[in-house]
Amino acid sequence: MTNLKDRCAIVGVGLTKFGKIFDKSPIGFTLEGIKRAVDDAGLTRDEVDGLLVAMPAMMGEEHAWAARIGALLELPLTFSATMDAGGATPVVMVQTAALAIEAGMCRTVVCAYGHSENPQGAAFAIPNLEFTMPYADIGATPLQAHIARRHMHDYGTTSAQLGQVAVAFRHNACLNPDAQMYSKGPITLEQHQASRFIVEPLHLLDCCVQTCGGGAVVVTSAERAKDLKHPPALISGLGQSHSAEVIMPWPEKQDHRGGVPAGKMCFAMAGMKPADMDVIQIYDGFTILVLTELEGYGFCPKGESGRFVEDGKLKVGGALPCCTAGGLLSEGHLMGMGHLVEGVRQIRGDCGTRQVKDAELCFVTGYGGAPHTYPAVLCYATLILRRP
Amino acid sequence: MSEWEKFLPQPTEDSEPYWDYAGKGELRMQKCKSCGHVRFPPSVICPRCWSQEYEWVKLSGRGQVWSWVIFHQAFYPGYAADVPYNTAIIQLEEGPSLHTNIIGCRNEEIYIGMPVEVVFEKVTDEVTLPKFRPAKGG
Repeated sequence: MTNLKDRCAIVGVGLTKFGKIFDKSPIGFTLEGIKRAVDDAGLTRDEVDGLLVAMPAMMGEEHAWAARIGALLELPLTFSATMDAGGATPVVMVQTAALAIEAGMCRTVVCAYGHSENPQGAAFAIPNLEFTMPYADIGATPLQAHIARRHMHDYGTTSAQLGQVAVAFRHNACLNPDAQMYSKGPITLEQHQASRFIVEPLHLLDCCVQTCGGGAVVVTSAERAKDLKHPPALISGLGQSHSAEVIMPWPEKQDHRGGVPAGKMCFAMAGMKPADMDVIQIYDGFTILVLTELEGYGFCPKGESGRFVEDGKLKVGGALPCCTAGGLLSEGHLMGMGHLVEGVRQIRGDCGTRQVKDAELCFVTGYGGAPHTYPAVLCYATLILRRP
Repeated sequence: MSEWEKFLPQPTEDSEPYWDYAGKGELRMQKCKSCGHVRFPPSVICPRCWSQEYEWVKLSGRGQVWSWVIFHQAFYPGYAADVPYNTAIIQLEEGPSLHTNIIGCRNEEIYIGMPVEVVFEKVTDEVTLPKFRPAKGG
């Protein structure tokens, strides 16, 4: 069996200016993100023959979205698709790019994202919400609030433990001048506890920010990556799993939940274990999600994540630096494209004051799906990036 | 509330019977004729054994609170007057879970494992929502 370990690499990354800025359409942000990533790779447009683009929030009848983006950049594509796995999409795009390159359909794939609206605002146009919307159980926030409620009930996890995640990621964002919350400064646990409830038990500071912006990464073969502008971030492992959760249509498939297969696949391919990682970028739409992912991917035993993060180990300078640019919670909600970009920058050693010393291995995750539909479908995607 | 400015279910061909039964004051879900699995959401196929044979069976309407949350923010103006309101996930006696609101008690009185029973709330001439209240004597 072919093993994809170290066969491909991320060689270019780019983020647009992002935040509460409303000067571009989703296409506009996507185009600028692609330009930045291809420039960063030191490649020319004619070398980009693959393009994957995340489905925009309001998809409607936007057929061939990715190919339209390609046409606007005059890319000579032999491989293109619009992708959707919710917040797992950026990582899934990188995985798909590696597969297509390895299969010989193309040599270099740009994976791009752009967004210019409040993602929650899109919920009202989504069909098949007939079993949640009439009860006003709206959006991703209540899903995570239900998960937090159960975690607290089953394992004794506390709101203050969730707060440690928010405090750590804000600490990291304060080392990143591009972060949306950089100018707001650090937060304390007391401020987290005093922030208003959004959907109890989740406070405002348990929830990610909302962001307009875009970004892209460039994936190519490890061979082609050798003589490009930056040292490559080799893709040493990848994994993916999809499960129906929370409203429990799958009582007999417990071990398929929580991203467990995605983590196992990734670490097995790389021949590594969670403890080997120097730095991690965990998809963090909400604080509770970081805890459940740390458990699902094996960084700590099930039920122990609250205590695991209590000592501040997720801060830059801590034992397990996580979301070093600030994450969705404090850097900005680029649907996880920021996590990929930061992962590559850490591997390159480009992160300035937030650089994790001697970072050679970075674990990156994506998480998403359709939280408000029935069944609530969740997609988990994982990557290990390695410095050669 | 005189005017219903909230979201109403928009049934599909597959889910329409569920809402029609609710309108008659019955909580019914599909039971697989092949393996006996009671499923929710409605679907043309059993997710367990893939049989397409089923019947709409009447459920007891009893269950337990699996989780509950309190909305302190209205994500849509139609719900602003209801804040703070609860949503809950109920584990039904027959197995399936569903989202609902718990009525007939204060939010602070809700707890995981709380026994509840279905009650039907007619919100328009066409639409009735199954909701849940603390079980009598439970």
